[in-house]
Amino acid sequence: MPPKFVEDRRKAALEVFESEPLPTWRRSGFWTTTVRKLQLDELEPRRYEPLAELPEIVRDHLGDEEHAALVVQRGASIVYSDVSDPGVTVMSLEQAVEEHPELVEWYFAKRLPYDEGKFPAATAAFWTGGVFIHVPKNVQVEKPIQVVWLIDEPGTAQYAHTLAVVEELAECKIREYCLAPRIEGQALHAGAFELYALPGSHVNLAHYQDWGTGEVYDISTKRVEIRRDAQVKWVPVHLGGHMTKQTLDIITAEQGSDMRHTGMYFTEREEHLDLFTSDKHEEGHTTGDTVWKGALTGDSRASYEGLIHIVPGAQETDTYLQTHQMLLSPKAKGDAIPSLIVETDNVKASHGGTVGELDEEQIFYMMSRGLSRTEAVRVLVEGYFEEVVQRLEDPGLEALIRRRIAEKLRGAEAQVAEFVAGRAET
Amino acid sequence: MTLEIQNLHVRVEEREILHGVDLVVKRGETHALMGPNGSGKSTLANSLMGNPSYEITEGKILLNGEDLTEADPDERARAGLFMAFQYPATIPGVSVANFLRMAMNAKREEPIKVKEFGALLKENMDLLRIDRAFTSRYLNEGFSGGEKKRAEILQLAMLQPDFAVLDETDSGLDIDALRIVADGVNAMTSDERGFLIITHYTRILGYVRPDFVHIMLNGRIVREGGAELADELEEKGYEWVREEVGAGAS
Repeated sequence: MPPKFVEDRRKAALEVFESEPLPTWRRSGFWTTTVRKLQLDELEPRRYEPLAELPEIVRDHLGDEEHAALVVQRGASIVYSDVSDPGVTVMSLEQAVEEHPELVEWYFAKRLPYDEGKFPAATAAFWTGGVFIHVPKNVQVEKPIQVVWLIDEPGTAQYAHTLAVVEELAECKIREYCLAPRIEGQALHAGAFELYALPGSHVNLAHYQDWGTGEVYDISTKRVEIRRDAQVKWVPVHLGGHMTKQTLDIITAEQGSDMRHTGMYFTEREEHLDLFTSDKHEEGHTTGDTVWKGALTGDSRASYEGLIHIVPGAQETDTYLQTHQMLLSPKAKGDAIPSLIVETDNVKASHGGTVGELDEEQIFYMMSRGLSRTEAVRVLVEGYFEEVVQRLEDPGLEALIRRRIAEKLRGAEAQVAEFVAGRAET
Repeated sequence: MTLEIQNLHVRVEEREILHGVDLVVKRGETHALMGPNGSGKSTLANSLMGNPSYEITEGKILLNGEDLTEADPDERARAGLFMAFQYPATIPGVSVANFLRMAMNAKREEPIKVKEFGALLKENMDLLRIDRAFTSRYLNEGFSGGEKKRAEILQLAMLQPDFAVLDETDSGLDIDALRIVADGVNAMTSDERGFLIITHYTRILGYVRPDFVHIMLNGRIVREGGAELADELEEKGYEWVREEVGAGAS
């Protein structure tokens, strides 16, 4: 029997879920994200038996890199778990609430209220499996701790919850992958992620999402709390998803805390991506640096809003946010909105945003050196992302992202070249 | 083997800038094209390279007999033409070394071997006194004016084109940088290559001696001669040309 704190939260969340209508998110007057085509009642949390071997799509993304721990959740079940570093605890959250109830209760959902809307409530009420990561005080873990969320059948509803606690002065790398092969039909990943980086800890955190070309909805909330003198570098990468609505919040909660947030997205076809990120400074003498870059092809839609929020009293905060978006198709639509709420004085906070297209002068320059128009466009887009890829400090992930972006560009090559050439003639 | 410009008329945004330019550069020759600001020098350079913002309305560009008037810039580059830009574009995320390798490979059947490329790069960087760390920087990003010009000449040295157009490569350089660039150009001059050096000032011509000098005014070449024409221009200034042309016209 799970402990009361888990059951109580499930019950309370279920009430919220049942009373809330399906949401529609609106931004800046004209940007709307809806889930009206999602047939939620047709989806179910599918359970699976453990796997002896990793599925191909997982192997393909993880490569041969060694890990400190690897957990794979397929649908509603943890199907693979391999913890090779005895210094850390990585297990299903269901197991953790049984085996380490005090530790889990202290942090569980501390920054994730269950009443933030229908989908967060659904996740809080229905999560199964789940992942618990605990890195004890003073422990340094070199190899990455990897978590995979896999959806490989239509009709799947995956309610995900990851709780990660990195204790004082500990250091680790955590990577989460959201993967799906091409599936025919609908699926849902409603996720919750929380990381608590305790004083003096250092965490490199990455979220890699590629839900493939199927009709996968991803509605998730991810929160990171950074305590005194701790640092988190967070890299969310969105390379595929039919409909994605995510809220990513970083809270520098105590002085000396520092965050580096580097995000990327590449949308194709009819994909719809709606991202909201916030960089919240709850105390002064905290620092932040956020850079997001995206590119849009096909008929895709991508909206990014990045907020810097400095609360009263958080003086001497020094933070920066920039967001860039590149349109590679006449039918793609996007916006990139940096915003700022500063409720105190004596801070440094700046932000900037651009939405642009490829510059014809750059293309001409490259062509004058013998590169074809198509090559020039490819090199420019790869170069555009390369600036952020270089910030990742994670060669394995960098290589994967470069490879996937190159593949996506090859797929869109003819269309992008036509767009750019057509523009040159007008 | 020649670069031949025949009766070239060029329009930019509905306004004709070049009104019939004729110029022939043979391999082994160095030509200087001089003129005051706004005379059409950069328009000629950009039209030669095929900049899509410049519309050729009449006339022809021939390279080794091949008509390139309608060709895309990359075809012109592969045919043996090169232009050192006055204001080269910044290419974020692409290192100098990577860009050079891509540009070299664009003209080759087989990609250049890493070792061969490295050796060639080192040789040319030594020639242009460019620091090693330079090659891993993103192309032109955060470069000083002098660094940009040197990066252009480095590309020229690596790509070894048949004909090179230098669009005001000397402008904005201090005398030391100018000498380095001029040394680079001199090291490249040979019987195999033609140069068209576009400049506002005569200063670079003290280091790179032209075989022919052409003076452009209001979209036409109005005076032609040998190196002594540059000396005369240095002495008398562009006003002299304007008056001469004006007197001839009236």
